[in-house]
Amino acid sequence: MTKEERLKKRHRAEKRFRFYGLTSIFVALLFVVILVQNIFSKGSSAFKKTVITTEVFFDQELLEIQNGASQEEIMEADFYDIMIENLIKAYPAKDRDEEDELLKLFSGDAEIEIKKAFLNDNNLIGKTITLDLTASDDIDQLHKGNYPRDLPEERRRISDFQLVIYDYFVENKKISKNFNNYFFNNGDSRDPELAGIGGALVGSFYSILICLLLAFPVAVLASIYLEEFAPKNKITDFIEININNLAAVPSIVYGLLALQILLATIQLPRSTPLVAGITLALMTLPRIIIPCRASLKAVPPSIREGALAVGASKFQSVFHHVVPLALPGTLSGTIIGLAQALGETAPLILIGMVAFVVDIPSSPIDPSSSLPVQVYLWSESAERGFVEKTSATIMMLLSFLIVMNFIAVYLRQKFEKRWN
Amino acid sequence: MSNVKIKSKNLNVYYGDKQALFDVNLDLNEKEVTALIGPSGCGKSTFIRCINRMNDVIDICKVTGNIEMDGININDKDLDVVSLRERVGMVFQKPNPFPKSIYDNISYGPKIHGKGETKSELDQIVENSLKKSALWEEVKDRLDEPGTSLSGGQQQRLCIARAISVNPEVILMDEPCSALDPIATAKIEELIDELKKTYTIVIVTHSMAQAVRVSQKTGFFHLGKLIEVGKTEKIFKNPDNKMTQDYITGRFG
Repeated sequence: MTKEERLKKRHRAEKRFRFYGLTSIFVALLFVVILVQNIFSKGSSAFKKTVITTEVFFDQELLEIQNGASQEEIMEADFYDIMIENLIKAYPAKDRDEEDELLKLFSGDAEIEIKKAFLNDNNLIGKTITLDLTASDDIDQLHKGNYPRDLPEERRRISDFQLVIYDYFVENKKISKNFNNYFFNNGDSRDPELAGIGGALVGSFYSILICLLLAFPVAVLASIYLEEFAPKNKITDFIEININNLAAVPSIVYGLLALQILLATIQLPRSTPLVAGITLALMTLPRIIIPCRASLKAVPPSIREGALAVGASKFQSVFHHVVPLALPGTLSGTIIGLAQALGETAPLILIGMVAFVVDIPSSPIDPSSSLPVQVYLWSESAERGFVEKTSATIMMLLSFLIVMNFIAVYLRQKFEKRWN
Repeated sequence: MSNVKIKSKNLNVYYGDKQALFDVNLDLNEKEVTALIGPSGCGKSTFIRCINRMNDVIDICKVTGNIEMDGININDKDLDVVSLRERVGMVFQKPNPFPKSIYDNISYGPKIHGKGETKSELDQIVENSLKKSALWEEVKDRLDEPGTSLSGGQQQRLCIARAISVNPEVILMDEPCSALDPIATAKIEELIDELKKTYTIVIVTHSMAQAVRVSQKTGFFHLGKLIEVGKTEKIFKNPDNKMTQDYITGRFG
């Protein structure tokens, strides 16, 4: 082969390699775009809810309370009749059957929404106000265009008559879309229009907080000891290998462990962020120790020697110099470990976090859900309303993960630069 | 003839199975500069690292024999290395300031030894140390800046200031100029000349010229053995040993 041919061959090989690299990056990006596009197109509508603008007249005869009633009196009062009387006026229905169909267009919380309006202003008796009442899931999905109305009636959840009412609402501009505060404030519900990730958010927050409080100090101290103080011998080698092994253990195994030890033996309360946090901490521990040790190892030995040479003890050289220098790497490793824990589903399913929990937990020992488990629960539900909620929850989860990873990268870059 | 400050007797050092120093007997005089020369890997650095017990850091390193400082064996297992290192400072081959401010670099030593109780005492120590290391004029207006922002030569003088901040009796220098340019080297050498009035200095160097310029006494190491030691003038003009002769004239090394 001549020199020229060899050169040509080398150039061809380089070009080929470049092409392979670009292709794989392109394919990867394509998948990300498809995934994100899919989630966004399904999920973005969940941030809005359909409301029906309704006039509500607070009839003295139907309410047992007076203007200026106290909060407790209002809470105890029955607003059911007021609700029925006002809702059936939303459309000129001819008989009881038609009225029943009309009532089904509103969410199960219409009574509570009316009561809340009265709680805000307790002088409403004898007055008429306009309220935006949440529509039922079916109307919500129909209005968002997620529900096909050209199916034959027997295959639809919405009757022909309800469609007539809907069209009447649209024509009279009584139906509109508002910001969906329920999605963020409410716990889980059987009714998709009322279901929210409030409980899952709080549950995830408590779980991650407990995970952080348990895993971070243990992982940091273990790494410092192993890296700086422990003698290098067979035992520490064995421990090191097993830490790496533990980081690779499937998370569901930690779930089984927690099920057996935390729930069955110690009898901690089931389905709670406390147990979830402990389980996630066990799982996260080796995943924090590894980057933690790596960042301790990355501190140049000259710094240790410098400290020792001025008469610092081993302990002082480690805690005054090495640990502060390793801190950015340690923190970013911790955050990435926590981000993994935040998205972890399998162990939480095993410890009973799949339970249907309506209330928002007020402490880590209340039963609760968590974001990834909520995704799992809703993805199994049949109602159309849960499809968009599943995607919207994934969007929330992904944005938390992106924010956490961003913080990790930021910490590492900002603070590591300063020392070099 | 000055007093002997440090005296090594039959000093042997082993790294695992490998012996790095063989029966080294070397006296270091007080308030004098002793230069240690010899080819790479000959044990010069190993020797000075015995004087402040820096070899303790290496797990597999074993030291036998005696090193006496003012008549006390510092190779005694019961000796507190922290107070030893307070008396024997060290400057390394590559400048290694802490990634902290210039001020904190110097005040760290005094702080951990409980010297300089008040801020003004510490300020005084920092100023004196920087003045002694001839760095004060260059950095007095920017003591808050990180030590790592200084030039290589300045960093090395900062490390010298750090070493003298705890007021040691001996300063060990392990090739302190090998990472520096000639101008910075000249400054450090000037400084060493000045420092020897107060401190006993041991310097490891690969530069014959440097050894001649700064030291009063020179020891030549080869393959872990101290081949010859004597007045610098004598070693370089009229060595007793053939090997020394060959090394200083550049015939091997």
